Amino acid sequence: MQGGLHTKHRTMAVPGASLVPILLLGLGIRLAAAHSPAGVECILFNEEYMTCTWGSGQTLTANYSLYYWYENRSPVAECKQYLWERGVRTGCRFEQSEIIQFQPFHVRVNASQDGRILEIPSNRMELQNLVKPEAPVNLTIRNMSSNQLQLTWSSPYPKAHCLEHVVKYKSNKDTSWMKQEVKGDIFSFPSVDYEKFYTFYVRSKINNYCGSTQLWSEWSVPVFWGSNTTSKGRSSPEPPGSPRHPHTVLTVSPWLFAGMAEEQLQWFWIHTVLIPIASCLLLLVLVVLLVRMERVWVIIMPRIPNPNKNFDDLFITHNGDFQEWVGVPKDVVESFKPNYSESICHVSELPYEPLQDSIHPPGVPGPQEHGPYKNSYVGA
Amino acid sequence: MERMIIFCMLFFCSSMVLTAAPPKAMKYKQLAKTIDQLKDVVKDKDVELLHTPENPEDGCLFTAVTCFQDGILKLQPKNSQVNVTFTKTVKILRRTILPDSGEHCESSCQSYERKKPQEFLNSFSKVMQKVIN
Repeated sequence: MQGGLHTKHRTMAVPGASLVPILLLGLGIRLAAAHSPAGVECILFNEEYMTCTWGSGQTLTANYSLYYWYENRSPVAECKQYLWERGVRTGCRFEQSEIIQFQPFHVRVNASQDGRILEIPSNRMELQNLVKPEAPVNLTIRNMSSNQLQLTWSSPYPKAHCLEHVVKYKSNKDTSWMKQEVKGDIFSFPSVDYEKFYTFYVRSKINNYCGSTQLWSEWSVPVFWGSNTTSKGRSSPEPPGSPRHPHTVLTVSPWLFAGMAEEQLQWFWIHTVLIPIASCLLLLVLVVLLVRMERVWVIIMPRIPNPNKNFDDLFITHNGDFQEWVGVPKDVVESFKPNYSESICHVSELPYEPLQDSIHPPGVPGPQEHGPYKNSYVGA
Repeated sequence: MERMIIFCMLFFCSSMVLTAAPPKAMKYKQLAKTIDQLKDVVKDKDVELLHTPENPEDGCLFTAVTCFQDGILKLQPKNSQVNVTFTKTVKILRRTILPDSGEHCESSCQSYERKKPQEFLNSFSKVMQKVIN
């Protein structure tokens, strides 16, 4: 009987013994489930800094530490700046110098609680797919001609060619928001009703050319347009005598401005082919015109006179005799030859005879009628 | 009249010089779009695996892009209906994309892992994203 009791106890003890580890396991799982975060979520804010978070201060109680490394690049390093919430580490902040895009990024978070160490599995991330740009700023509305509004903005994100935007707008009479995707920095609103009051919001996202992300930025600060009919004191431009337009905003087909950026690419190719060909042809026409018009040609390329041929006569025909070539008449040539003879006339000086009157000092020749000089000539 | 003709000629000469080649960014964006088009028409099953560069260094971009261009030759269309689109996109992607920077790259094309065409094209898109960025 006692044996039976013993066996009974044993049989009862065995299931009891196996139950304890199951219970402990269950407890452990529950503990783990209650305290381990779902995973690490990293976001690059405007490519300026990055935060990786693994939960909020309400659910976490353990002591966490984050280790990160880039595949094939850097050694494992610990986070330098932790984010705290209620005395618990809930995230890590990375500065711009620690962020490398287009390199697989690994993160491992170690949680230690009550002496046990839990490891959250490491995530492999591509940081270019986790960029969240900042909301657009400086929203301005310009009134273009013929009831058309133009909304422009600028983005704090440095690379504008990497962004695509969405404009959300509504008038005070609409019940739901209209959303429109825009590739550039300008949104054209075709027909605006001046009786209505419009509100516009814009937000941005990295487009497919620079990353594969679904992270939209926050909505920008809104911009308003129009007159609020309930409050008549609001200042707004009201054109004089504008006729009432029917509400055509919602019925405008989106292909008007949705395909603009797509068309731009094709339009650009036409430009680069059409304009060079057209200008080439025009150049050709102008050159032909120029060549045909002799008068114009002479102005650009004047004939430089060559006097070579003029002197052929002199050297060949007349054998270098200048007088013959010039054509001096023979009697003129004869007239220059002298037909008389002259004998040589000697001229000499007579000796000087001083006068009795010695008033004139020597050396100064006084006026004398009969000078001692005598010269004679023989006339022809 | 004559002087006007001459000035017109000079003006058009200079305008031809100014309408230069399109900016590189436009060219790369068009290539990225072409790669997306190719993803829709390429055969993914029972085909040869291709060497796929993953996250190449800055100095290895030219080698990586050349490797992708060589791999594209081995692709096949999904079915006979998409043949026209397939041939057109392959022709566009065969043209020179990046100039030869002359930098020496340590990893050659054969050193990269072989992957299926869709992953191959996804990696190609990623490299184009890095170039555009």
